Amino acid sequence: MKTPGSLLLVTICIVLSCNDAEARDLHYGSVTDASIARCDEAHWRGQIDDAAACYSDVMNGDAPAAAKAEAAWALADRQLANNWFRRATAEAPDDMATKVRWGDLFADTHQNAEAMEIYREVLAAEADNAYARLGAAHVLIDSFEAAAEEYLDELLSSPVTPDGPRLGALLLLARASLENGNRDESRSSLEEARDILARNDWPPLELLAIQAASDLLDGHDDSPAIAESLAYNPHYGGIYSTAAHYFVITRRYREAIDLYQKAVEIDPGLASAHEQMGINLLRDNQVSRARRHLEIAYKSDPFSPATVNTLRLLDSFVDFKLISEPSADGEQVPVTLRLHQDESAAISPYAIELIRQSIDVFTRRYEFTLREPVVVEMYPDHEDFAVRTAGMPGIGILGATFGYVIAMDSPSSRPAHQFQWGTTLWHEMAHVFTLEATGHLVPRWFSEGISVFEEWKSGPNPGVRIPMSVYSAMQEDRFLPIADLDEGFIRPTYEGQVLVSYMQAGLVCAFISSHYGDNVLREMLYRFGDGLDTRASVEQSLGIASTDFDEAFADYVSKEHGSVLERLDQWNETQARIASQAHDGNWQSVRELATEMIAILPGYVESDSPYLALARAERELGNADAATQALTTYWTNGGYDPAALARLARTRNDAGDPAAAARILYSAMLVDPLDIELHGERGEALLAAGDAAGALREFTVAIDLEPHDMATAWFRMAKAQYELGNTAASQEHLLQALDIAPGFRPAQRLLLKLAAESAN
Amino acid sequence: MAAATSLEHDLKLVLIALLVIALSPQASHAELNVLIVEGLGGEPQYAERFDNDVTAIEQAAVSVTSAEHIKVLRRDDATRDAILAHFESLKSASTESDQFVVYLIGHGSFDEYQYKFNLPGPDLTGEDIASALNTLPAASQVLINTSSSSGAILELLENENRTVVSATRSGVERHATHFGRYFVEALSEPGADLDKNRLISVQEAFDFAERQVGDYFEGNGQLATEHARLEGDRATRMTLARLDTARPEVSDRILEELNGRRVLLNADIEALRNTRPDMSDEEYRRQLLEKMLELAQVEDSIESRQAELDAQ
Repeated sequence: MKTPGSLLLVTICIVLSCNDAEARDLHYGSVTDASIARCDEAHWRGQIDDAAACYSDVMNGDAPAAAKAEAAWALADRQLANNWFRRATAEAPDDMATKVRWGDLFADTHQNAEAMEIYREVLAAEADNAYARLGAAHVLIDSFEAAAEEYLDELLSSPVTPDGPRLGALLLLARASLENGNRDESRSSLEEARDILARNDWPPLELLAIQAASDLLDGHDDSPAIAESLAYNPHYGGIYSTAAHYFVITRRYREAIDLYQKAVEIDPGLASAHEQMGINLLRDNQVSRARRHLEIAYKSDPFSPATVNTLRLLDSFVDFKLISEPSADGEQVPVTLRLHQDESAAISPYAIELIRQSIDVFTRRYEFTLREPVVVEMYPDHEDFAVRTAGMPGIGILGATFGYVIAMDSPSSRPAHQFQWGTTLWHEMAHVFTLEATGHLVPRWFSEGISVFEEWKSGPNPGVRIPMSVYSAMQEDRFLPIADLDEGFIRPTYEGQVLVSYMQAGLVCAFISSHYGDNVLREMLYRFGDGLDTRASVEQSLGIASTDFDEAFADYVSKEHGSVLERLDQWNETQARIASQAHDGNWQSVRELATEMIAILPGYVESDSPYLALARAERELGNADAATQALTTYWTNGGYDPAALARLARTRNDAGDPAAAARILYSAMLVDPLDIELHGERGEALLAAGDAAGALREFTVAIDLEPHDMATAWFRMAKAQYELGNTAASQEHLLQALDIAPGFRPAQRLLLKLAAESAN
Repeated sequence: MAAATSLEHDLKLVLIALLVIALSPQASHAELNVLIVEGLGGEPQYAERFDNDVTAIEQAAVSVTSAEHIKVLRRDDATRDAILAHFESLKSASTESDQFVVYLIGHGSFDEYQYKFNLPGPDLTGEDIASALNTLPAASQVLINTSSSSGAILELLENENRTVVSATRSGVERHATHFGRYFVEALSEPGADLDKNRLISVQEAFDFAERQVGDYFEGNGQLATEHARLEGDRATRMTLARLDTARPEVSDRILEELNGRRVLLNADIEALRNTRPDMSDEEYRRQLLEKMLELAQVEDSIESRQAELDAQ
């Protein structure tokens, strides 16, 4: 158990705070001091000046230490509050109520671990302390931990739980239910909470805020709860910011911004609203405005990791380059890239080309025309991307789409063989269409399903690619009913379920496309835009009940993938044997085993693809043509290992087919565009194939990436310029090459050729 | 003015003569001796890699010196006694004008006091290496040590006649290194030949390998566990490999004259580069173009003459 003495150590984390901070949460009877109760009443009625004067009087009077701590906290001086709580608990170590409030202060300053330690300490001393349980539930529910549910169950099921903690638990449950989309359960909790409030004459503000959120989500903009709240306290920003949160988690960021704006208008000191407004303005590419709100939030609450992280991220934007690409033909929207300056030259040409292609494909397929410029940001540091996406590091996804703004990992954020950035960009571009075509009402599973489906169908490396772990899940019959598929993304119940859900969603869309047609897929999308849920959308678009759809889909999966599932064990065993045979250099055996695996699943091209093993075996056995054939099949099936593709391109080049080599190396660029030599090789291939302009583009990228061999890089530029007829530029680049390497014979020869042609 | 120009010309010729001697040990009666030692691999993957590296180094060495001046000690033959015995034999067989290149390919260790290169039987210590090199008459020495902890002996080997390449900056970088394989790759890699003279110098091989090691760690998102070092100021002048086949020396007056012109032009270009800060970009480019065209014509003439001689 932590002693009060050891608790003192963690308090040093609480540093200076400011006077504009948002006030502390409603406490529903956990503070019993009469002087504080008077101040709180004024405060919760929105009588701000009176309340401040009242709290100041408590601070300046001879109130107990615990009351002074509450007053300091209410006046937003958290450091002083901490000092008074420390004194109060030292004076009365057995006063568990004050200790719980001290825990609440830690939770309020985002120090959840320290808060939990206090709650546990209190519960060890008083197992039935309901306020400590409520505090713990608050902290844990914010961290998405299942233990929160246990604490809530205990509070709600116990007949002796006092009204205060019971009310807090009901409101927490109502929030969680609303978050889960369970409006009925939320309403039921609110009804019970309303009775308790009435009994105790506590402020109804929090309840009204949840009620208003529920109304607004239902499309009732004139929620009576808002009017009631404003009548009770015209400065209670939570009435809007609570609802805004639910719009954020359903990806309706602009509606959320509007609500946060209303919140800070009536409650300018509401740091959490400023913070969330800043984060969501960034999602709408309003960077300057976002910074203003984040700075206000920081001034009020310097303890929030999300605020601090996001401001730091904004500071790092000086290292990024904004590249604006107006529409060439006037038909498409402009595109803006925010790329790290070290990578922008290498990535931007490919990214813009992909974005343009995707807009063209998706506009036709989904019959939706984008209305605003598309903004794509790529982050070399994955944690920067995570902060950009969620305000906090530690998320496992590769990309996120907020509407017309996409943020994603840049190719340098991960080892090349792990990440096809081109495919990720294609995936995210599909989200732009599904979100915007539905006013952000598309359910998560359908949006992800379309994106995965488009990766397979029209992406830069097309082909159905399903990881083996997902086949295993299919074998274990872990696919969800379509009506519940969102759960697999939002509340996964086993490790890897999110990935399984991605693949299931993609397969569902592939099934609908192949059996009902792309027009039905599109119709479903627009049904979601009309506000229908999955069951209704399936029934209206496909003409069958969602449960019947599940059966048809299971048949489809069985037909398409059943043979693989039946031989999955054989696959796994064979793969293990390949690894050991390759280790022993038994290439004949590797060839046989790889061929056996390819027969089971010919389209498998992930990093452990049997094609790579087969190519290696054939090469080791001296069968160069067979090795090339294996790699060619691997590539045409969507294989993307850049080293393997570079090897294949060289063989095609050596065989006199530089155009094929250039195409293969294009696939490699969509994985590793920062490999200087790949740009050089692709440029040479394009030049040999007669595409000097393409070659110049590649060589320009290579120069920008500062290659080791600058003489060769300049010489390549000179060759491309020469082929394009730009003799002055060619000569200039030759001099740059020869200035580094005067004896560079190929450059000398071209220089003499230029001189001779000039003389003629 | 004319006298000054003449003096400059004479000085230039002396410099050029020195340059030619430095670049071409074979042509100046100086011998280039190469010792390649393959240490213990431990795990099969390292044993195989060291084996391949040593084979590639031997091929590179053949391109710059004759086979009798190359000594390769592999596996069980690579003992401390055999290495020291080879140094002993070179002591009497070589002269001060000779050059000596030693490659140590393998694992090393450092216990805060002593560096050891891992061999079958007793290891070779840093002191062994220093002592053996110090007793050699060859005034120009290169040690390339690609082992882990190899940076531990940099200070021990400090000598104005010596160039030392180590895969690590100190003894405490103890992980198996990547530097060696990239250094070996440089010996046959046109991209490492930055001045495009078809020769790979110690400096060029080092620069190539150092960059590749950096790219390796960056590309894999890892903190670098090795930082190569190069000590000594002769690294640009010491050749480790040539990328084309050396032509047999022929006595031909025309060719000698052309080679002489090439040397002079290269010296002129070097002088022009040195005066660049005092010139406008336009003037520099104009003069550079003039010199480069002349050099290119001389190179063409050399190629043509060599073709004529080959045909005879």
